[in-house]
Amino acid sequence: MGQGAAAGTPPFAAETAVELVGVGKSFGPVTAVRELSLAIRRGEVLTLLGPSGCGKTTLLNMIAGFEEPSAGRILIDGRDVTEVPPYLRDTGMVFQSYALFPHMDVFENVAFGLRMRKLPKAKIAAEVMRALEMVKLGGLERRRVRQLSGGQQQRVALARAIVLRPKVLLLDEPLSALDKNLRAQMQVELKELHERTRLTTLFVTHDQGEALSLSDRIVVMSRGEIQQIAAPIELYRHPANSFVASFIGEINRLPPARCRLSGGEIVFSLAGIELTAARRDDLALGDGQQVHLFVRPEHLAVAAEAAGGRNRIACRVVTHVYQGTHTLTRVEAGALGVLQLRVPGGAVIERAPPGSEIGVEINLDEAVALPD
Amino acid sequence: MKHRVPRRRPFFLAFLLPSLLAAGLFLAALGDVLQYSFRTFIPGSLDVGGFTLENFLRIGRPIYLSVLLDTVTISVLTALFTLLLSYPVAYALVRARRDWVRTLLIILAITPLFTGEIVRTYAWILVLGSNGFVNSLLKDAGLITAPLSLLYTRFGVTVALVQFSMPVMIILLATAISHVDRNCERAAANLGAPPLMVFWRVTLPLTMPGVISGTIVIFAWTMSAFSTPQLIGGGKVLMISNLVYLQGLSTFNFPFAAVLSLLALLVAMGSLGLIRPAIRRLERRVALH
Ligand SMILES: Nc1ncnc2c1ncn2[C@@H]1O[C@H](COP(=O)(O)OP(=O)(O)OP(=O)(O)O)[C@@H](O)[C@H]1O
Ligand SMILES: [Mg+2]
Repeated sequence: MGQGAAAGTPPFAAETAVELVGVGKSFGPVTAVRELSLAIRRGEVLTLLGPSGCGKTTLLNMIAGFEEPSAGRILIDGRDVTEVPPYLRDTGMVFQSYALFPHMDVFENVAFGLRMRKLPKAKIAAEVMRALEMVKLGGLERRRVRQLSGGQQQRVALARAIVLRPKVLLLDEPLSALDKNLRAQMQVELKELHERTRLTTLFVTHDQGEALSLSDRIVVMSRGEIQQIAAPIELYRHPANSFVASFIGEINRLPPARCRLSGGEIVFSLAGIELTAARRDDLALGDGQQVHLFVRPEHLAVAAEAAGGRNRIACRVVTHVYQGTHTLTRVEAGALGVLQLRVPGGAVIERAPPGSEIGVEINLDEAVALPD
Repeated sequence: MKHRVPRRRPFFLAFLLPSLLAAGLFLAALGDVLQYSFRTFIPGSLDVGGFTLENFLRIGRPIYLSVLLDTVTISVLTALFTLLLSYPVAYALVRARRDWVRTLLIILAITPLFTGEIVRTYAWILVLGSNGFVNSLLKDAGLITAPLSLLYTRFGVTVALVQFSMPVMIILLATAISHVDRNCERAAANLGAPPLMVFWRVTLPLTMPGVISGTIVIFAWTMSAFSTPQLIGGGKVLMISNLVYLQGLSTFNFPFAAVLSLLALLVAMGSLGLIRPAIRRLERRVALH
């Protein structure tokens, strides 16, 4: 995981582990996945990110072979597996609900796949122990799975999949059933696990924080369609459309603006005010073009004075939400509607109580302008 | 428990009262049967004489032992064949993809419950009789010249009992199968198990509680089967209930009928007791919820 692999560490970079070509799935009248194409690179963590019901599990099920695609081909390691039954596909699935075998203990759960491969007993025992060590479950091998905590069950499910070193690890929202602290801890462990195993991983989540911290690349999906495929930083800074912009992190969407090019600057006129930005390569806009500006809360700042000055507007404070390292402040910005600011620390709560007038400075250096 | 929730006890007792009453009545009847079994039989009279142990010695006679053996054998075979035939039906019933297949299977599986036992038994007589459906079919196909004797045999009785038992078994098994987590089966396939292996290592073990309780229910109720062996056995196949009937209502030997009844009860409970350790072990391995 991490950006190292995203940038591409040869000889892996160009190699494709899993390829979907025009894959689609309908359940009767319901289209779960629109025909889409996608390549998972060997050794990377690719995340499917999207709201509930957008077709993530369906896509995973098609790769694992539990659902037959209505259209398209699926290739694993260059081999067309579209017609191949699940048990011959060599994928490693971790289910949303874990799906551990309740009638077997931890050891037998992890050993199941190895037994199916008819490995010698000693080899099986050694492999199981190694996998359990890797997920920090050493010593629990004779426990019944029902006697395990949610986090431990999660680890058993992981161990059961990775012990076979599958061609692709399919993780379906593996952390969604865990409480917040445990989830944060498991994120770190998943990352370490991937660094040790380097297994090609397709990770499904609807938690954008999880996606940003775990992935080499993220596929943003909505209603069965791919919205954007990009590395986390790229996705955060340059969302391809307004769905991605609002789905990844917090963002303020400003009212429609008209652009005017003036020297080295772009002037946006919106709702009776003007905001200026320096011209940038990624802000290739034409004169008179109609756009929406998207600004992250961390690019809004409380100004020293209430009004006057470049990109500064007068606002009235609505609420503060204190978050320790920072405060999320909601302000009423007249024609711009309600804006959200991310202010470092908590001093702003006393300095500008709800109802008070403040000036807010909008930094457009990293703003995103998207056509309507 | 007693001192903790004193206020709830009368409440629960009120609910228990009807079943306690029923249990009391059954116990009284059983007690009556028990006392009859120690009385002397007076031929030609409905009254019974004084205390004796002779009735118990009488069951040692080969003819009665063979009825007992037949009863147990037929019950075991019925339970096993019912299980073997019902499992695939229950499985298809739960897992069929198309709604109409499921509906059809439910109807086919359940309707026998709504035709009375007598009607069904006569239907079997039509099917198994020497000029019945099976024999005519085999004769027309040229496979046999003389009719096979299917009726009035242990085979015929067992076949009818199996059919009689299947709806209940199917319902019990279907319930168990529908509780199996599909993702567990998918996980097994994902780990490299071919379909039969998935069934053997995951589906079957997870439905074992249903299999066990279904088999026990069928075994127990076949042990007490009466009208099916009475009509299809035609007096040539005797199960314990038929013998009790014969002793009690033909020769009016109530004491011996009482002994036979107690014996049937003991054998049923005894056989359950025998397989109990095995069941315990299985259940501990499966330990559902
Ligand atoms: N077996 C099915 N029959 C009919 N519709 C289905 C079936 N499975 C999924 N769908 C539909 O397909 C769509 C995608 O479902 P899917 O389970 O893939 O979503 P998801 O992205 O995994 O959602 P979540 O985040 O809630 O798990 C949904 O609209 C769902 O209702
Ligand atoms: Mg899902």
